[in-house]
Amino acid sequence: MPIYPVLAVSSAILVVALELLYFRSGLFRSRAYWMSMAIVVGFMIAVDGWLTKLSAPIVFYNDANTSGIRPVWDILIEEYAFAFALLTMVILLWDRSAPAVANETASA
Amino acid sequence: MDRLQYSALMIACLLLTLPLEFVFGARVWRQPRRLARAVVPVALFFLVWDLWATNRGDWGFNPKYTIGWKFPGGMVVEEILFFVAVPVCALLSLEAVRNMLAGTTPLQRWIRER
Repeated sequence: MPIYPVLAVSSAILVVALELLYFRSGLFRSRAYWMSMAIVVGFMIAVDGWLTKLSAPIVFYNDANTSGIRPVWDILIEEYAFAFALLTMVILLWDRSAPAVANETASA
Repeated sequence: MDRLQYSALMIACLLLTLPLEFVFGARVWRQPRRLARAVVPVALFFLVWDLWATNRGDWGFNPKYTIGWKFPGGMVVEEILFFVAVPVCALLSLEAVRNMLAGTTPLQRWIRER
């Protein structure tokens, strides 16, 4: 098994588990979260696509350690799991230290 | 100029999302302590992973497109920039959407008041 997809998917599962079992913020039921994630995926395709395009890669991978599956603009499929874990974890910590007045908008 | 590609891309992300802070009232940059508490621990975790993976040779950074400033362990400066810039962009987008849905962005207020 190549290690990068295994670790990327594991980190995504870990973040989901942290929300469901520890933070319990309700983030995954929030419309704003999923709408912003959809926007982020759009920009991720532009930015990560530019970073990892095979014609002139800024970031390159050892093929033996990746899935090798690059459905959109040469972006490895495990990069989406990596991005999900990174950004969702940051959002969970961001919401946890929300000031009291911001709580009502946080549930939107 | 090509060596600025990675760093310029990250700075472009920060500049392009900056209007969200004001036009959509995201208030991400204006809460620096809260921002640091969200970004720093996650960035550290991912940078340790990054350092481990680059030293194993899982991935690497093209010297043609990076400035060449390296931290101990071989971490390129652009990678640190990445783990700050990308989360900031995501938080700006989240807060902008929340304000949009709540109808509280400065832009919506301005339109209503006209």
